[in-house]
Amino acid sequence: MVGWSGRRKTLTILLFVAPTLIGLIIFSVFPLVLNIFISVTNRGKFHPNPDCTQTIWKIVEPTCWLGKPPKGLAEPFGFQNPVYNNYVDLLGGLFGRSGLLALLRIVIALLPLLVAWYLNRRFDRQLTRPVSSWIVWLGGLVGAFLVGWLVSVPGAYNTLLESGNFIMVNVRTILYVLVCMPLFFTLGLIMALILNNHHVRGLTFFRVILIVPWAASTVAIMMSLVWQFFFREQGTINQLLEILDVKGPAYLNNNLWAFVIVVLVNLWYTYPFFMVSLLGGLQAIPQELYEAAEVDGASWWKQLTNITLPLLRPVALPIIVLSSLTTYKVDAVVWSLTRGGPIAGADKPGGTEFVMVHAYKQIFQTQAFGRMGAFAVILFVMLFAATLYSLRITRITKGAYE
Amino acid sequence: MNRPPTLAAKIVMYAVLVGMTLFALYPIWFAILASGRAGDRLYTFNLAGMFVPTEWTFENYRTLLFETPFLTWIKNSLFVASLTSIASVSLGTSGGFAFSRFRFRGREAGLILFLAIQAFPGILALVPIAQILSAFGLYRNHWGLIMAYMSGQLVFATWMLKGYFDTIPIDLEEAGMIDGAGPIQSFVYIALPLARPMLATTALFGFMAGWGEFFLANILIPAPDAKKTVMVGMFQIANEVNIPWGQFAAGAVLVIIPILLVFLFLQRYLEAGLTMGGVKG
Repeated sequence: MVGWSGRRKTLTILLFVAPTLIGLIIFSVFPLVLNIFISVTNRGKFHPNPDCTQTIWKIVEPTCWLGKPPKGLAEPFGFQNPVYNNYVDLLGGLFGRSGLLALLRIVIALLPLLVAWYLNRRFDRQLTRPVSSWIVWLGGLVGAFLVGWLVSVPGAYNTLLESGNFIMVNVRTILYVLVCMPLFFTLGLIMALILNNHHVRGLTFFRVILIVPWAASTVAIMMSLVWQFFFREQGTINQLLEILDVKGPAYLNNNLWAFVIVVLVNLWYTYPFFMVSLLGGLQAIPQELYEAAEVDGASWWKQLTNITLPLLRPVALPIIVLSSLTTYKVDAVVWSLTRGGPIAGADKPGGTEFVMVHAYKQIFQTQAFGRMGAFAVILFVMLFAATLYSLRITRITKGAYE
Repeated sequence: MNRPPTLAAKIVMYAVLVGMTLFALYPIWFAILASGRAGDRLYTFNLAGMFVPTEWTFENYRTLLFETPFLTWIKNSLFVASLTSIASVSLGTSGGFAFSRFRFRGREAGLILFLAIQAFPGILALVPIAQILSAFGLYRNHWGLIMAYMSGQLVFATWMLKGYFDTIPIDLEEAGMIDGAGPIQSFVYIALPLARPMLATTALFGFMAGWGEFFLANILIPAPDAKKTVMVGMFQIANEVNIPWGQFAAGAVLVIIPILLVFLFLQRYLEAGLTMGGVKG
């Protein structure tokens, strides 16, 4: 913008930004700040109300503002002693000796994969690769399994699960993301490759049809209930099995089955996103490269691994990161399908109780608001860091910081 | 991948396509079939009935529409979702424009703030939001729910519109400036009309987010029945002791099919929305 500056400029900008900013402060920033205050108190079912005579709560607690403080028989909530006690409750188990040791063991087991990655990077820089990349990765994987067996990763995993509910749901959710991502990507890539093949008829038709689950994901809570019906004990699948005289199990009451089903249904919702984005990436790859490869007599597989996949990287990486974040925050799908079950016992998260579902259940059931505040703050820090990282990858803000 | 595929490759490809089409459509087809079946069950012992309509009745639709509060729920959801979308777009547009066009101190900080808020999922803000709403008597109130949705949607709208304004060339506005238009005129008369498609898309995304949301609605409006949104109401139907599955399926069809049509119609905007959608979570 030219030709205007000084006070008028400031006023104009303020005028433009004000509606958004005021809205943000009321609807977003204030809840966040209030949440931080709640996270250091023992607010909960037994101490629901603030002590409005204290200056600090007079300022931050909205229920004190109108001069009609909520009354109740219960004692008002106060600060935890020490104030960070809720955080210790949630994270304490991780920083004990056994927790750190378990983490260390898992990290050690992942080292071979790191070595494989490093070797691949080195080989890539050489003119002719001594070993092809998938052999290196396979070696890394085998190495990881071997080392994992040596340091007994399953044992470490169990130790981690036992060191607190917060850590348990986090570890499970991360495992869930790790299982989901390769599946989402592979299915999305296969479909994108087929839809990118001009020798197939009816491409537009299939493209539109295959996107349907994505559309259904906006009403995931209802669509997942339909899915849930397939897997009930008296559901569709077991009925089909009955015709074959097989008695199917109650899938949703079994830890492994429930996990698999949640993955499958989430795959149904998510593959169109991968398909559409990867298809966009495929169409951006210049055809000449394939023609040149054809002249050199490269097989389909060689073309895939040496042209398509490397050139898809700029598209694939951001969507994987973004999708990991949304998968980490999965809520509606799980809530409809299993409600976080199968139930593992009192005060223990169920088999598919992932982070968001756990948070929701805690707010609902135990109503330990103070601890949930701390939960929210920790998650917020994690998610914010992850979002910043994902932005660095997608470079959405490229124009913003010039 | 230009080479015509061999016959075997072709067969494999079509098999995958057909298989995936079945996978993609069957659950929805299943709901449609079940909605037309008499009785309170979703399933049928008739094997063919699982794949083609062997019987059809509108009984479930009739019961759902006239004997349950379904229509009220739909009305509530329409109200909440449209107001969320209208409010977020109208509050977010000018901010999006400012963040795209002006360079001022605190701009980067503002953008980071947007992201930080994006990173914070609505469920986790439930406790403070419920506090604020109950302090002002907005708990169990549609306006309260709209305010709760705004916390996520406003950032989303601002961010989307900022991205779109970034892609509109500034030349037109500069030409306007030479003719004496101030920043406000150039916003209202030049940039806004150009951004119309994106305004519509953002509003639609906002609408769909409000339409499909369950968790906040379930906590902030737990009762009475007449105030619930359609997602909460249908979820409740699906968790009754004697689940009226036929009605549930009919409701699912009525709720999902319009969204499907809108979504397929707007397919070409998806690409733009998806990177943002990822941030939105």
